Amino acid sequence: MNKLRLSTAAIALALLAAACGGATPTPVTVVQTSVVKETQVVKETQVVQQTVQVQVQVPVTPTPAPGNQVLRWAMEGVNEPGTLDPALASDSQVVFATSLLFRGLVQLDSQLRIRPDGAESWTVSEDTKTYTFKLRQGLKFSNGTDVTADDFVFAITRSLDPKVGGGNGSYYLSNILGAADFSAGKSTTLPGVTALDPQTIQIKLEQPSAYFLYQLNFITGYILSKQNVTAGGAKWYEKPAGTGPFMLKEWQHNQKLVLVPNPYYWAGVPNQLKELDLVFYGGDQGSATAYNDYQTGAVDIIGSFGQAPIPSQFVPQVKDLPDFKSAPQFFVRYIGFNDTLKPFDDVKVRQAFARAIDKTQLIKLLGEGSARAQDRILPGGIPGSELPITGLTFDPAAAKQLLADARFDPTQKLVLTYGAEGDNAKVIEFIVQQWKTNLGVNVTAEPLELQTFSQRLTDTYNDPAKGLQMYYSVWGADYPDPQNWLSQQLRTGVGNNNGHYSNPEFDKLVDQADVEVKDAAARLKLYNQAEQIAVNEVGWLPLFSPNANAMVKPYVTGLVFTGQGIIVPDWSAVRGLAQ
Amino acid sequence: MPQFLLRRLLQLVFVLFCISFITFMVGHLAPGDPIQAMMGNRRDPRLYEQLRRQYGLDRPWYEQYAGYVTGVLQGDLGKSYRYAGRPVWDLVKQGVPVSASLGLAALALSVLVGVPLGVLASVRANGIFDRASMTLMLTLFAVPSFVIAGLLQSLQVILFQNDLPNLPTSGWGKPENWVMPVLALAAATMGYLARLTRASMIGVLRQDYIRTAWAKGAGARRVYMHHALRNALIPIVTVLGPSVAFVVVGSFVVENVFRVPGIGFVAVQAINTRDYPVIQSVALLLALVVAVMSLITDVLYGILDPRIRTQS
Repeated sequence: MNKLRLSTAAIALALLAAACGGATPTPVTVVQTSVVKETQVVKETQVVQQTVQVQVQVPVTPTPAPGNQVLRWAMEGVNEPGTLDPALASDSQVVFATSLLFRGLVQLDSQLRIRPDGAESWTVSEDTKTYTFKLRQGLKFSNGTDVTADDFVFAITRSLDPKVGGGNGSYYLSNILGAADFSAGKSTTLPGVTALDPQTIQIKLEQPSAYFLYQLNFITGYILSKQNVTAGGAKWYEKPAGTGPFMLKEWQHNQKLVLVPNPYYWAGVPNQLKELDLVFYGGDQGSATAYNDYQTGAVDIIGSFGQAPIPSQFVPQVKDLPDFKSAPQFFVRYIGFNDTLKPFDDVKVRQAFARAIDKTQLIKLLGEGSARAQDRILPGGIPGSELPITGLTFDPAAAKQLLADARFDPTQKLVLTYGAEGDNAKVIEFIVQQWKTNLGVNVTAEPLELQTFSQRLTDTYNDPAKGLQMYYSVWGADYPDPQNWLSQQLRTGVGNNNGHYSNPEFDKLVDQADVEVKDAAARLKLYNQAEQIAVNEVGWLPLFSPNANAMVKPYVTGLVFTGQGIIVPDWSAVRGLAQ
Repeated sequence: MPQFLLRRLLQLVFVLFCISFITFMVGHLAPGDPIQAMMGNRRDPRLYEQLRRQYGLDRPWYEQYAGYVTGVLQGDLGKSYRYAGRPVWDLVKQGVPVSASLGLAALALSVLVGVPLGVLASVRANGIFDRASMTLMLTLFAVPSFVIAGLLQSLQVILFQNDLPNLPTSGWGKPENWVMPVLALAAATMGYLARLTRASMIGVLRQDYIRTAWAKGAGARRVYMHHALRNALIPIVTVLGPSVAFVVVGSFVVENVFRVPGIGFVAVQAINTRDYPVIQSVALLLALVVAVMSLITDVLYGILDPRIRTQS
C-alpha cells in the first residue's frame, strides 16, 4: 500500500488518471480563449486585480449526439435525498447531488483554488468589503432560459429567508451585510445583495473576509431560476433548472437519481455520458451493500463520502487493487476536554493526558497508511498547515511529571464518552489503555448511540457543569481555510467549542486574522500563533487524520481526490461504463 | 359475529391509540435531538431555536401530542424533520406497496414451503427426510435475518466472481430483485411454520378419529390432507397473525440490506436521525397491519373450527 505523506507546500492530492478513455466519441467543441478578471485574495500577499486567461470550452450546438456511457455513483449514508433544494439540503451526499444540478458564481478547482463559474469575472473594492460580479455572457439554465442577476439575488435571499427555513444559509452567508437580521426575521430585506443591472451583481459584506468566496461556493450560494422555483410550488426541485453540468431526468425514491447532461452547461457538456446515476445506500447496512454491489459491477464508485467510507473490515481485501484509492482528507479526530470541570480545568492535567498517548502505535492499530498522526489542529493541506507547530509529543516521563505538578485528585472518576460507530471502540480502548500504562490513571470508556452522543455534546455546550468530562470527536472542513478550524472551533463561546476552551490571546489573534484580507502571509501567521497557543493548552487533543478510502472502477476517469472530497475539474473528460 | 367484530374493532382503535402515545413518549423522552441531527456537527443556538419553533418542538409535550393526534385523525401524519418539511405520507406512501408485496410474497413462500414440508416430515416422523428437513428449518428459524441476508448477498458476489449465474445484490424494480429479499424475509417464518405443522400434524395423527378414518378404509391422501391437515391447521392459522409481525420486523433488516425502498428502509433512516413524525407514523401503520392481521386470524379461526364459531 502506498504510504501517503502529507505535502507541506501544496494540498496533498491523489490524482486519478484524467486521460480520455479509448475510442469514445468526444463532443464537438471549440476552444475559445476568454479574458477573465480574477482577484486572488487568499494566496497573494496583496489584493491585485489580475487578468488571467482561462480556456473555456464552449459547445458548438446545445445538443450534440449523446454518448453511450453510464456512470453509477454510490451515495452511502442516506437512503433518499429529502430535497434537492440548495437552500435546504444538508447531508453531504445530497449537497453533492445538488452541486451537479446547480452551480454558483464561483467554483473550486482541483487545487482547491476559487475559479469563475457562473460569474465571468469579479472585482473587489479597496476596503475589500464589496464584491462586484459580472455574470457569464450567454449563461443559461438547463431549461434554456437566460440567467439574470435577479435570479441570483432571488436565490441568495431565499437561502437566508427564515420562512424557507434552511439550516445552512445563515451559517455560510452570515457575513453578507444585513444577513443576520434578515435570517433572524428582524428585517424583511437583505441590503447586502443587489442586482446592479441584468448582468451585474454586487455583494456587500459586514466585515472583510479572506474566505468569503469559499463560503459563497457552498450550495446556499447557487443560482436558481426565479421562474422555476416560484412556478414549481413546494416541490419545485422535482423539476429543477440550474446551471450545473447535469439535469434531473428521473427520481426513483429511496433508490436513485438519474441525471442526464445539461446541454446548456457552459464549461464542457458531459455528452459522453448517457446517464449519471446517483445510487443511494441508506441505513447501517448501506456501506456493506454498496461494497457488494461494487463487487458485482452494479456501481462504479463507492466510499466517496468521508462519513460513510468502505467498511474497514473489507479494506485489507482490496487495498492492493488498482481500484482502491486512499487519499488524505480534511478530517481530524480529536479528544475534547470540558475545560470548566475538574480535573481538566487545569491545563497541566490536559497536557499530561496529551503527552501520554503514543500516536505512532495508534496509527499501527488503525492500519499503516490509513491515517496520519496529528499533533496540531490544522490537517495537512489546509492553508497554514505548512507553517510549523511544536506539538505536545509523546513523552510518558514528562506526562507523569505534569500530572504530579497538577491539582489532580486520583480518586475522581474519569469518563471518556464517544459515539458507537465504525472503529471508534478500537481507538478508545487503545487510548484508555495508554493512559493507564503511561499515567497510571483509570478512565472509563462510555459508548453512546450517535444521536444520544450528539445530544450530550449539545448539553455540554449549553450547560458545561452537567456536561461530559471528555469526548471523542471529529471535525471535517466546510471549506479549506484555517478560519474554519480555529476561529470556528476554539474561539471563546463559538458554536462548535463544546469543551469551552477559552484564551483571550487566542481570541485576539483569530479575530485579527479573520478580517485580514490584503496580506495572506500575515494572516496565516496570525492563525499559526493562535494554533500554537491552542496546541500548548490542549484546546483539542488531536489524534489523527483519517484517509478517505474509496474504490473507483478503472474505466472511470476525470475524478480528482482532494482533502475536500472528490472534485471533477472537467465533466466532459469523465468516462463511465460503455453500454 | 357482527358484535364480535365491532368489539374487536373498538379494541383495535384503543390499541392504536396506546401505540401512538407510547411511540410519542419514547421519542419525546429518548436522548437525541432531531434539530441537532438536522444541523449535523455544527452548533448555532439562534438557528437551533428558530428551527425548534418552526417544527413546534418548543411547545410542551401534551400540546405536541394533541396536535399530532388531531392531525392523524384528519389524515395528516405531519411533516418530516429530516426531509426539509416534506409530508410524512409523501415519504411513506411509495414504501407501502413495496413492503406489502414483499411481505406477502415472503409470507406466501413460507406457507407454501413450510406447511407441505411439515406435513411430509410428519408422515415419516423421525425418518431421514424428517430429520434433515427439520434441522434445516430449525437453522432457518434460529439464524437472524441480517445474517441470512448478508450470506445471500455474499453468495451472489462469489457467484459473480466465478462467472456463474447470479442475482443483483441490491435494488428494486426488476423481477430478479425479488428473489433474495423474499428468501431472506421468508426464512425464519418458513422454519417456524414447518416445525409447527409437523408437531401439530403428529399430534392430530394420534387422535382416535384418525384411527377411525384408517379403519373405515380411507386412503392415505384423504386421511392426511382431509382429516388430519384440516385440524392441524388451526394452530398454524393462529400463528399467521403473529407471523406478520415477524415479517414486518424482518423487513427492517432485509429492506436495508437489499436496498428495497419499503417502509422498513424509511424507518431505519428515520430512527437514525430522530425523525419522530416518520417513526411515529411507521409504528402506527405497522401496528395497524399487525392488529388487522390478528383480527383476520380470529375470523379465520372461527371458520376452520365450528366450535369456536358457536361460542362467539
